[in-house]
Amino acid sequence: MKAIILAAGEGKRLRPFTETMPKVMLPVANKPILEYVVDSVKNSGISDIIMVVGYKKEVIMEYFKDYKDIKITYVMQEKQLGTAHALLQAKKHLKHPFIVLSGDNIIDQKSISKLIDEPSKYSILIKEHSHPSKYGVVFVEKNKLKKIVEKPKQETGKFISTGIYKLPNTIFNYIETLASEGVYALSSVIQFIVDSSEEIRVITAESWMDIVYPWDLIRVNEAMIHQSSASTSGTIEKGVVMKGAVSIGKDTTIYSGCYIVGPVVIGEGCEIGPNACIFPSTTIGDNTVVHPFNEIRNSVIMDDVHIASHSTISHSVIGMGTHIGNNFSAIPGDTTAEIEQEFKKLKDTGVMIGEDSIVGDGVATEPGIIIGRQCKVSSLNRITKNIPSKANVM
Amino acid sequence: MCGIIGYAGFRNAQSVLIECLKRLEYRGYDSAGVGIIDKKLSVCKEVGEISNLEKNIPTMKGTMGIGHTRWATRGKVSKENAHPQVSGNKKIAIIHNGIIENFQSLKEELQQKGHKFSSQTDSEIIAHVIEEEYADTLENAVCSALKKIKGSYALAVISEQEPEKIIGARNESPLVIGVGDNENFLASDITALLNYTNRVIYLDDGEIVVMTKNSIRVIDGKKKKLTKKEKIVNWDVKDAEKSGFDHFMLKEIYDQPESIRQLLRGRISEIEEKINFPERVESILGTEYDSIHIVACGTSFYAGLVGKYLIEQLTKIPVFVELASEFRYFGIKKDTSLVVAVTQSGETADTLAALREAKSAGCKTIVITNVIGSTATRIADAYILTQSGPEIGVAATKTFTSQILTLFLLALKEASVRKTLGPDEIYHYILQLKKLPSQVRKILDNIDEITAIAKHLKDAQSVFFIGRGIYYPLSLEGALKLKEISYIHAEGFASGELKHGPFSLLTKDTPVIAIVASDETYDKMITSIGEVKAREPPVIAIADEKDSEIEKHADFVLHFPSNGLPLSGISIAVILQLLAYHVAKLRGCSIDKPRNLAKSVTVD
Amino acid sequence: MKCVILAAGEGKRMHPLTYTRPKVMLPIANKPFLEWNLLNAIDAGIKDFVFAVGYKSEMVRNYFGNGEKWNINIEYINQGKALGTAHAIGMVEKFVDDFIVLCGDTIFGKNDIKNIAQKENSMGLLEVENPDDYGIVEIKGKNVVKIYEKMDEPFSNVINAGIYHFNKKIFYYIKKTDKSPRGEYEITDSINLFVKEQTIRGIFLKEWQDAVYPWHLLDANEEILKKMKKDIQCDVEKNTTLKGTVIIGKNAKILSGSYIKGPVVIGDDCKIGPNCYVRPYTAIGNGCHIGNACEVKNSIIMNNSNVPHQNYVGDSIIGQNCNLGAGTKAANLRLDKKNIKVVLNGKKFDTKRRKLGTIAGDNVQIGINSMMDSGSIIGNDVKIGPGAMAKGEIKPKTRVL
Repeated sequence: MKAIILAAGEGKRLRPFTETMPKVMLPVANKPILEYVVDSVKNSGISDIIMVVGYKKEVIMEYFKDYKDIKITYVMQEKQLGTAHALLQAKKHLKHPFIVLSGDNIIDQKSISKLIDEPSKYSILIKEHSHPSKYGVVFVEKNKLKKIVEKPKQETGKFISTGIYKLPNTIFNYIETLASEGVYALSSVIQFIVDSSEEIRVITAESWMDIVYPWDLIRVNEAMIHQSSASTSGTIEKGVVMKGAVSIGKDTTIYSGCYIVGPVVIGEGCEIGPNACIFPSTTIGDNTVVHPFNEIRNSVIMDDVHIASHSTISHSVIGMGTHIGNNFSAIPGDTTAEIEQEFKKLKDTGVMIGEDSIVGDGVATEPGIIIGRQCKVSSLNRITKNIPSKANVM
Repeated sequence: MCGIIGYAGFRNAQSVLIECLKRLEYRGYDSAGVGIIDKKLSVCKEVGEISNLEKNIPTMKGTMGIGHTRWATRGKVSKENAHPQVSGNKKIAIIHNGIIENFQSLKEELQQKGHKFSSQTDSEIIAHVIEEEYADTLENAVCSALKKIKGSYALAVISEQEPEKIIGARNESPLVIGVGDNENFLASDITALLNYTNRVIYLDDGEIVVMTKNSIRVIDGKKKKLTKKEKIVNWDVKDAEKSGFDHFMLKEIYDQPESIRQLLRGRISEIEEKINFPERVESILGTEYDSIHIVACGTSFYAGLVGKYLIEQLTKIPVFVELASEFRYFGIKKDTSLVVAVTQSGETADTLAALREAKSAGCKTIVITNVIGSTATRIADAYILTQSGPEIGVAATKTFTSQILTLFLLALKEASVRKTLGPDEIYHYILQLKKLPSQVRKILDNIDEITAIAKHLKDAQSVFFIGRGIYYPLSLEGALKLKEISYIHAEGFASGELKHGPFSLLTKDTPVIAIVASDETYDKMITSIGEVKAREPPVIAIADEKDSEIEKHADFVLHFPSNGLPLSGISIAVILQLLAYHVAKLRGCSIDKPRNLAKSVTVD
Repeated sequence: MKCVILAAGEGKRMHPLTYTRPKVMLPIANKPFLEWNLLNAIDAGIKDFVFAVGYKSEMVRNYFGNGEKWNINIEYINQGKALGTAHAIGMVEKFVDDFIVLCGDTIFGKNDIKNIAQKENSMGLLEVENPDDYGIVEIKGKNVVKIYEKMDEPFSNVINAGIYHFNKKIFYYIKKTDKSPRGEYEITDSINLFVKEQTIRGIFLKEWQDAVYPWHLLDANEEILKKMKKDIQCDVEKNTTLKGTVIIGKNAKILSGSYIKGPVVIGDDCKIGPNCYVRPYTAIGNGCHIGNACEVKNSIIMNNSNVPHQNYVGDSIIGQNCNLGAGTKAANLRLDKKNIKVVLNGKKFDTKRRKLGTIAGDNVQIGINSMMDSGSIIGNDVKIGPGAMAKGEIKPKTRVL
């Protein structure tokens, strides 16, 4: 059986992080989200994957070029019109029943295996969830799908669609029919099929995580980092205390006096400390330098980041190549954020800074602030509003 | 240039030869051919790339043969001139990488004896000389023939009369033996063989190998047996992929933030404020030498020129940069000099010759290269790998910036050892180095600015690049990139030299690209631009992003991110690469394999 | 009749020991797996061998040469890229007619090898207690019907033992074999094609010793040592005590005060003692030094390694060329006495052993008074500084200061 992974989307709501890479390549616990998806698919026994790519496809193709044990065929979706349209691009590769899933939702391998083993012609993975997903809310009757509502006005129903289906290749007839009417969403095609009295079996997924907004990276990082184990590499100086599952990459030096409490993942070529404190659920990428007397907790720090001394970073995301000066405080807390004209309530969130930004000394940020890519923030500023990419704050 | 491969074993020779030839294609891709013996000798050749050969030849049985991919040095590109070349009686086939200097007199001698030739190559002569010398064994024939031949060669010879033997010979062009089980290989470089065996024997100049599927015997010109040591090669062959980019060259330009990071990894420590090199390099740096000679060719030569400015500024040691091909003709080589050779492939013939000269004069030698295990790493006293990953595009991009950075690190290390720079200053430079990947990313982001300028250049007949100080060699490199892949004539000049002659070439149709950094060269560059504008050509300035005055002087401006000044050269190099790429793309040129060029030039 | 031995695999599950040697060269009781197989096959009457090598082939070739040491012929075929067991066997087509195939990393008994060699078109089967770790074989009567991949709930406890008797016909089916989901060409798939048109007899084996993870080597070591006979080839000083089966090689110096309780095997050129305690099921390689006040128990110490002064090494595996500083010890028991868990290649395993010391690769240099935690996995070329603690999985070339 083949699996088709939809990885063409940009992920506008994940800006500024998706300005330089597609959302499926955003890293949690130092692995791109897409890699978790591919691994789950691979471990369920599928060895043939069709990947629909589009936005910044080179990042994906470069990362997976050495990937062993599995065959990946790339299909381009020139314009991102919708999920059914993406699926349509792969039509010629899919002559038998297949699994379709999105590259930006982390799904566990057992759920995929259950879907493969399910004998019904159509089946869908659903999840119990209090908030509707971007794939919509589903209504179920006797293990069969009754209705799928994409953007419900009221938050009714306790199940949501994961957007993961097992479909026969006859689905393309439906997709093409609806595409000619300008309908490109897979969930709409599914609803149409339900209305045509076809049976769609419903299976509950065990673990499924959606990443839609920048702060989701923090939550998903925390969930996925528990899967990583301790592994020591590089140079560990005397007087370093490491507790729990701490993974240190090659050529990294942990200087004396550092206190690291796992689960923590630190990449390759980093310099940490002396006397830096890294607390649970923190991921640090490659080539990052963390100067003495920093406290970092529950955060995602990407590659090439520079954090000068005496900073406190908690529940935050720091993008690749960003430089942060001394005495930086990312204050975590509850707040309401606005993204793409929607208001979201955030709990316990720090700051999210895009790539290649330069933050001066003594800067403090209020909870939930998003600073864009290539920004410059001068010293001693207190940031209370989001800052768009390439902006300067004097 | 030219890649050669020989196989004697139990597998189907055709598939082994073609697979290995594909890995040697970077050495030349004008034409290719294979010669296989299965009771009789069959030779098949085609013009064009190896995929062309693969498609058009019949399936040949036989478990032993030779294969060749050509970069024309003598004789145009044609099927007749492709290798293997055969003898008059069509029983002996040879493949050759190199140049035979006395081929003309040999040819006349043979013609008088009745030999007829079907190609214009010097290589064909070799097959006929061997045929002429053939008395009892192929081995003796080859040994006698080589006595008559003057020049450079890496050869593989097979004969229908002795169908289990391959004779290989090396003089100046690279040739390695791959030792297998029930099979043996000959190749121009090790990477061609790594899928089959990790045991190699390096041949030295003047050595000859007689190889069958079960035996390897190495002899010298006098037929004396030599004992050679087998070495185990442990490195991985990473296949280079385009990963969704239109061309390898474009991908390699976009690789630069990563290749810069890889270069710096493990070499600079921000917390400890120091530079680390491998032990052998560190033992040489800072010892007693009073001058440094950098030898290189092509783009590496320009990296060397940039290196000269960097090393002299930071260490006050006098630095001389010389074209490797000229090094042997002049230059006082004292044993009080350090010679640094810069070669991406480690096989560039001119640079290897210069290294050998330096060693025999008693100089200490270090080579900066991208290829582990290359000949240069085995000649020099110590080597530094640029670690950029394979570079497939023939025009050098990421290896150029890596070479400049390596020279910069060398300068910093030298300065710290000689104490011309204190730890504070070194720390300052380390911070600048760490900012480089971000800055390159910023330029890669502003691609629209560059493609807009490319449109203005695409129909030019001739383009000038001007710069001063450290930006003069960058202007030379900019011109080289443009002409290499877009075939537009381009020249780089020190801006102060324009008025001493080249001005006469300027018209309103010769765009001028001026590198204008905000340092002590700024004012004079503005003057130069003024002088140029008076003759009406369009002026494109590459200037610091903080420079707001430049718009008043130039017609178009491309900005690079501010950095500590020696390192803005890296950002400028990336801009020049992208400019050349997009102009070539607009003109529809074959970017990864430009006409008439090969990646690694292993002939003189 | 030729015997083809598959010796090309890396054996990733045997890291860190297989970073520097192929799995078939892992030593138990001082001989590599492959040599035990070779000796048993020679005892079963076979004289011509073909080794299919690949990963670090030079180690196999350098050790076995052309076989003259055992008066047999050994030819080599280099697999190059690791493309699977069917690919490896397919490569020997021109070199064999009627042949048996052994997996080099499993030890087969000489009688079983003889039985398989006498029956054309047969394969070895085994009844085990933990079939879920292996591929199951479905049989009907005496014939093989199908070989299955590892499954969660196996329907039988008969597994594929990894020894086969083929003739030239198998190559036709090997050429028709597709890549498995793992991306390799597996001989089990070729056999499944073969049995659709021909027959393969299943023969049950009586002896079988394999090892999947490094700590299994300790069990294999113990099993082999139990069967060995006493053999001392060197002089032993006065005031040394040797009890039980003790095997010592040439030129070894056993100094006064050494207390060696067998079954223990000690290689050539070793220096043991004075005043050390070597306890049962220990294998010490060639050129090793077990010094004063040291205690070694149930461990494998490979060639040229030193446990020289005041050390304790129990239930451990120490690679080649390692050096333990004075006073360095390996812990082998948890304070709460629970099973020892290890992290190997990033994954957690319950070794189901109450006692497990450390598993260290080659060239590990450990400073004085350092500690190796129970279940620690130390990669090759690691340096552990004076007074430091090695815990968990430590990747090659790490420095713990």
